[in-house]
Amino acid sequence: MAALRRRLFQSPWEFRESFIFAAAAVLAGFLVEYATGGTGIVKPRLPYNAVVLALFGVSVISAGLAFRNSAFVKWLGGIPLGLALISAISVLSLIGGIVPQGEPVPGSLATLLRINQIFSSWPFAAAVILFLVNLGLSLSWKLVPFSLKNIQFILFHAGFWLALSCGVMGSSDLQRLVVPIEVGKANNLGYVMESEVPQKLPFSVHLQEFSLEEYPPQLMLFDPKSDKLVAENSQAINQVRKGAIATWKGIEVQVVDFMPYALPGKDGIPRPAERNTGIAFAKVKILSGNVFQEAWLSTGSPMFKPYAVELGGLLLGMVPGTPKAFRSAVTIRDEKGEETKATLAVNHPVDVNGWKFYQMGYDEKAGRWSQLSLVEVIRDPWLPAVYLGLFMIMAGNLLFFWNGIKQHEAA
Amino acid sequence: MVIDFNTAALAAIAFWAAGIVFGVVARWQSSLKIYSTICSVTGSAIMGVFIAIYWSYLGRPPLRTLGETRLWYAALIPLVGFLVEYRWKIDWLKYYCMVFAAFFLGINLQHPDVFDKALMPALQSPWFVPHVVVYLVGYVMLAASSVAALHNVTLQLRSKPNLTGESVAHYLALLGFVLLTFGLIFGALWAKEAWGHYWTWDPKETWAFLSWLAYLGYLHAFRYKIDSKKLQWYLALSFIVLLICWFGVNYLPSAANSVHSYTRQS
Repeated sequence: MAALRRRLFQSPWEFRESFIFAAAAVLAGFLVEYATGGTGIVKPRLPYNAVVLALFGVSVISAGLAFRNSAFVKWLGGIPLGLALISAISVLSLIGGIVPQGEPVPGSLATLLRINQIFSSWPFAAAVILFLVNLGLSLSWKLVPFSLKNIQFILFHAGFWLALSCGVMGSSDLQRLVVPIEVGKANNLGYVMESEVPQKLPFSVHLQEFSLEEYPPQLMLFDPKSDKLVAENSQAINQVRKGAIATWKGIEVQVVDFMPYALPGKDGIPRPAERNTGIAFAKVKILSGNVFQEAWLSTGSPMFKPYAVELGGLLLGMVPGTPKAFRSAVTIRDEKGEETKATLAVNHPVDVNGWKFYQMGYDEKAGRWSQLSLVEVIRDPWLPAVYLGLFMIMAGNLLFFWNGIKQHEAA
Repeated sequence: MVIDFNTAALAAIAFWAAGIVFGVVARWQSSLKIYSTICSVTGSAIMGVFIAIYWSYLGRPPLRTLGETRLWYAALIPLVGFLVEYRWKIDWLKYYCMVFAAFFLGINLQHPDVFDKALMPALQSPWFVPHVVVYLVGYVMLAASSVAALHNVTLQLRSKPNLTGESVAHYLALLGFVLLTFGLIFGALWAKEAWGHYWTWDPKETWAFLSWLAYLGYLHAFRYKIDSKKLQWYLALSFIVLLICWFGVNYLPSAANSVHSYTRQS
């Protein structure tokens, strides 16, 4: 092998030089981080980041084309350095995948080196910038002279370049704010995660209605001594419905009647009620040891205490099911006074004037009776560029798959 | 339920075991080969039927918890082994695959899953099935690739030439990488709709990215014509990253805030 005969840094450079170079870049990044007290990188915002990125892209491509015969530039855009940088990014991501991210402890070494916010640290930035140089140079050689044979390479590599660079550069322009709104009211103030000072938004959101649907309630056997739930024999989550049977050691419970929405009468016996006010009631037959009894269970609500049964030191109760769906009917009014009506639900955000509106949360203590909806509003002007990159990667990927099969068939 | 998991899992494992035994004996008595095939395929078919019944019982695709995904791995990994045998006439891969599938079922037998019909709102999306299925099949390919590479490594140590084996490991890694890329991007597009941003360095995302980088590195090393024997070691060891990404993430300190920990009930 040539590598054994060649001395370190003797031309042509290959893997050893690449790995030393990548390691040096990461180390330099950590030194900068340590020297600046772990403040991380400060990224410019629009339009400066777009200008910087465009200049960077153009310089890399032109350098690749102008110096394509230089041994150094060939190495800079070659596979050995690419692999070394993939390894560097992997090692940094590995740190990010093990160390909990986003909780700086003032003064600790982890904070000074920023390994708890590794993805916005200097070492990560150094590795990514060099990687973009490497990727960009290799791309320039496949772009000029253009050949249709290279289309798979171009789509994958250019797509990756675009998605990675725009994702990283554009993160400074990402706006994410939470707007808390009470039913019947409007709000034009949003909060970012890191601050308690509200920011004024270029629109207001009026909440007409918040509604929450739950899965059926569940039967639970609770042990107050150990403060734990007792596991049911079949390991199933016991959704309450008429006829359902649940068994624990020595205890058998059968649901003989179930009313999802009911209210207790004066005699304490529940009767069917409206959906808005009613709570879930279930009549159960309990066989505990040799003792047989019938009782009503209920989930309770902010207005009513739950009904539970005591069984030899254990508590049999019914808890509300987990949320199945929740949505907010809102009217969004922009600065010109134009109104848009929309229903926000999880997985169903709505776009208005370049902002995306998401159903984020509600008052979880109040559950179904929540009078508060948390709406998240997000603006990301770089999204189309990132998506273009992702779609190019997928197109390149399809061709890769196709060619991979064809090559194999030919072999 | 019509059949319970323990019965189905033990039956599948028994059929796979019989398939392996018949397969080994068939090396001397080739008329037994057909029994090996029938038993092996029956084992996987049992898991396939069980998944279908379980799906209709839950009223949602059984793709939410790790235990549920292991059912799919158990059904699909042997299938890759059978297809490789059909396509490349390599018969040893399926044995590893069946042992591997039995191992996954064993984990589920040891740690019974909680049958929960509920599907949280964030998972109610048209992206749910494609995202998980593409990943699942991709990981199955990569697992088979690692297993094949491990076999190739053992042959290397005994200095036996094995070119077809190496090309199978390579081809499975290539297919797996393509599917991983789709899974990653589908996940990003879904995350934008469900959580507001396409990439947040959630621990599971980070580990999925790491597995992707591992195979990106492999494909470039292959392209650079690095000694194929060394690359078999690489493919065999990549399995460790895959394992952490599948099941290990939940146990890492970074997982506290992961959006991918569906096994824990709040």
